[in-house]
Amino acid sequence: MKRKIIVAILAGLVIASLLAGFVGCGQQRLKVATTTSLYDTGLWDYLEPIFEEEYGVELDILYAGTGIALEYGMRGDVDVIAVHSKAREEQFVAEGYGVERVPFAYNYFLIVGPEGDPAGIKDMSPEDAFRTLYEAASSSFISRGDDSGTHGKEKAIWASAGYDYEAVRTAGQWYVEAGRGMGPTLLMASEMQGYTLTDIGTFLSYKSELELVPLVEEGAILLNVYSVIAISPEKHPGTNIEMANNLIAFLTSPQIQELIGNYGVEQYGMPLFTPCAGAEPQS
Amino acid sequence: MTELWEGLVTAVKLIISLDPEVMEIAGRSLAISATSSTIAALICLPLGAVIHSNKFPGKRTLINIVQTLFSLPTVAVGLFVFVLFSRAGPIGGLDIMFTPVAMVIGQVILISPIMLGLTISALSGVDKAIADTAISLGASGLQTAVITLREARFAVLAGLIMGFGRAISEVGLSLMVGGNIAGFTRTITTAISLETSKGDLELALALGIILIVIALVINLVLNRVQQR
Amino acid sequence: MTMALIETVNIGQKYAGQYILKDVNLNINRGEVFALIGPTGAGKTTLLRLLDLLEVPASGSVYFDGMDVTDNKSLRLQARRRMSFVLQKPVVFNMSVYNNVACGLRWRREKEATIRQRVSRALELADMAEYINRNARTLSGGETQRVAIARALAVAPEVLFLDEPTANLDPISTSKIEEVLAHIIGDQKTTVVMATHNMSQGQRLADRIGVIMNGEILQTGSPGDIFSTPQKKEVAEFVGVDNILSGVIVNRDNELVTIDIGGNLIQAISDYPIGEEVHALIRPEDITLAPRKDASSARNTFEGRIARIFPVGALVRVEVACGFPLLAVVTKRSAEDLSLAVNKRVYATFKATAVHIIKRWN
Repeated sequence: MKRKIIVAILAGLVIASLLAGFVGCGQQRLKVATTTSLYDTGLWDYLEPIFEEEYGVELDILYAGTGIALEYGMRGDVDVIAVHSKAREEQFVAEGYGVERVPFAYNYFLIVGPEGDPAGIKDMSPEDAFRTLYEAASSSFISRGDDSGTHGKEKAIWASAGYDYEAVRTAGQWYVEAGRGMGPTLLMASEMQGYTLTDIGTFLSYKSELELVPLVEEGAILLNVYSVIAISPEKHPGTNIEMANNLIAFLTSPQIQELIGNYGVEQYGMPLFTPCAGAEPQS
Repeated sequence: MTELWEGLVTAVKLIISLDPEVMEIAGRSLAISATSSTIAALICLPLGAVIHSNKFPGKRTLINIVQTLFSLPTVAVGLFVFVLFSRAGPIGGLDIMFTPVAMVIGQVILISPIMLGLTISALSGVDKAIADTAISLGASGLQTAVITLREARFAVLAGLIMGFGRAISEVGLSLMVGGNIAGFTRTITTAISLETSKGDLELALALGIILIVIALVINLVLNRVQQR
Repeated sequence: MTMALIETVNIGQKYAGQYILKDVNLNINRGEVFALIGPTGAGKTTLLRLLDLLEVPASGSVYFDGMDVTDNKSLRLQARRRMSFVLQKPVVFNMSVYNNVACGLRWRREKEATIRQRVSRALELADMAEYINRNARTLSGGETQRVAIARALAVAPEVLFLDEPTANLDPISTSKIEEVLAHIIGDQKTTVVMATHNMSQGQRLADRIGVIMNGEILQTGSPGDIFSTPQKKEVAEFVGVDNILSGVIVNRDNELVTIDIGGNLIQAISDYPIGEEVHALIRPEDITLAPRKDASSARNTFEGRIARIFPVGALVRVEVACGFPLLAVVTKRSAEDLSLAVNKRVYATFKATAVHIIKRWN
């Protein structure tokens, strides 16, 4: 008798927890694959409840590098992507996976490193800084190594500096591939007292935990544009295109643009992003 | 060292104060793993009984394969489920990618070999005369299977608990097919992985402690069961 | 003619390609107590398992109450639910004695009230009523056996199979079990089929006996027939006919024949013609020993020397060499009276009617 009661209680608990676990499964959902640098700044945590409130939808945010976000998009596993790698985004749209590339904010990349700057790259141009790091081959450079937008930007700088990326990758132990998001990569660079390329937003939001300082901040190549792209319903009819368009309209609306433009001022003393409402910023 | 200590203190505070985020994540973890364990048990108990009580060519090989799959890598299962259920995949139309449903399916695949293999070995540990006795007393095939399972109940239960333990502690699969979406598919292990990489050690530690406690309880129950 | 309750037609069984039972034709009649006797490994258990439909025969057919139940699954289950089986080494389920005995009834979907009543009756019959709430796994061998019997009885079987019901028990448990069995046999209208290697048990309990050896039924018949007129040498040896002499019939006068046993002539009653090669079977208890030739009516008297003497319980077995070995049994008392000793000269005497003649097979 006692055993039956225990069994009944356990069964009840399991059923109750199942219900609890799957509440929301039936609700309308919108899946966004976002670049890690947007996520790590906390921008999505900030905007998510506002959007959910306004549109009565569950916003599912997948933490992924630009490369993975594009892959999810191509497979139709998400409804919309928020990324930062212009050339690949344009290709994505050209191949018919995305409806349209809509830039909504930008900031700049930085090269950060230990305060002592052992390689001496401070205030160089990005290309010169990379050349110096390569020649010295003594201080660690932590690459995202994850096919993300930041990683793409890093490759672009190497190319612009005249190097073949494959040669850089295999140049020596000083070149480290983290294979992780922006935040974790910064923590790693700080641990190793090495250099890395980062977006300013993530750097500022992690700054308190890092023993790294910005060393290179100027250079046209450092422009970092974030855009949203809805997945084409022609490629993947099952995606939620209507809500994806709502999200794009939301992000580019004057009210939200203002919020984005002010995001971080309170906490870091300066904004993390410059809103650009659908127009391509010119550096 | 102080970082670890402070982290631990905060973690314990988070647990004691029943921090909603911690509780929600732990509850979801338990729910998803309990669901997959229940489904896997519902598959594996009858299947194990059928395999055990029938003679067929290749039976030995089949059992060997099942046992090999005990250590199925979670990421391999993750990849398999991803490729299968991704919208571009063969059954993508179900629209379950990055939902708890995908995680449950993956966990069922992951833990079924363990539950199946241990069920079969528990049944083969039962005296053959038990089945004979049951049949001679007029039991049908199903009734014979039930009494044999009942005789092996402690060993069978141990297998089920092992399966649950593997489900709740795996991370690769949940991350790949669940996507670690806050409030939807974020479980203890995926949260620990994310929070650690973000440097938020307190939450990670609190969840880690809960996971260890769950593992401890599982082990205690397992020990009790095996002593019977 | 009444139809047999169970009938086998040429059934055989093989394990790992090896025949352990071949061409068995056996009828079990309703209401009888049938004992299968034979040495260990003769195939008794296998035959019981085939009769109880625990195994499907490799060849041949099994009929139960007129239905062919050789391999039809649902008919086999139906038939099996009218029988029950107590295994040689019974196992009990890991649950209370009550639940053990109730199992068979639950599987037949009996009502809980019926189950309660039948279980307590079965336990009383097996003298296990006081153990009703004990976990069955904590019982001794004899108690386990009685639970197994109660469990088999609770389902009110038309046929009860017992495989060596007392093989592994001490003498006290054995007599208790036999008491229970005698009670069941006397009380109920159950058909009982039991296997035993203990001949006297078979003789005590059975209406009919089948002797099985090397997977073949050699003879079936009443215990009297089997013990007094075995039809084969192996049966004779097994049922304790110690004197088995090979010879040839050399003369006959009506029923009375003379057999030449390696030069010695024995007279016996038989229908076989002159020239037939035969075995002469003489039970040791039918042979009398005397210090001198006496003038009885017995036809056969042989002079010989005592080769060996060995006591068996209250009896003494005496081996006499009289041109051929002859085994006799006397009581301890008469052995002393005759002051029997090795090498002593004695006369062994037996009647022509005490000699059972069977045809030699090879």
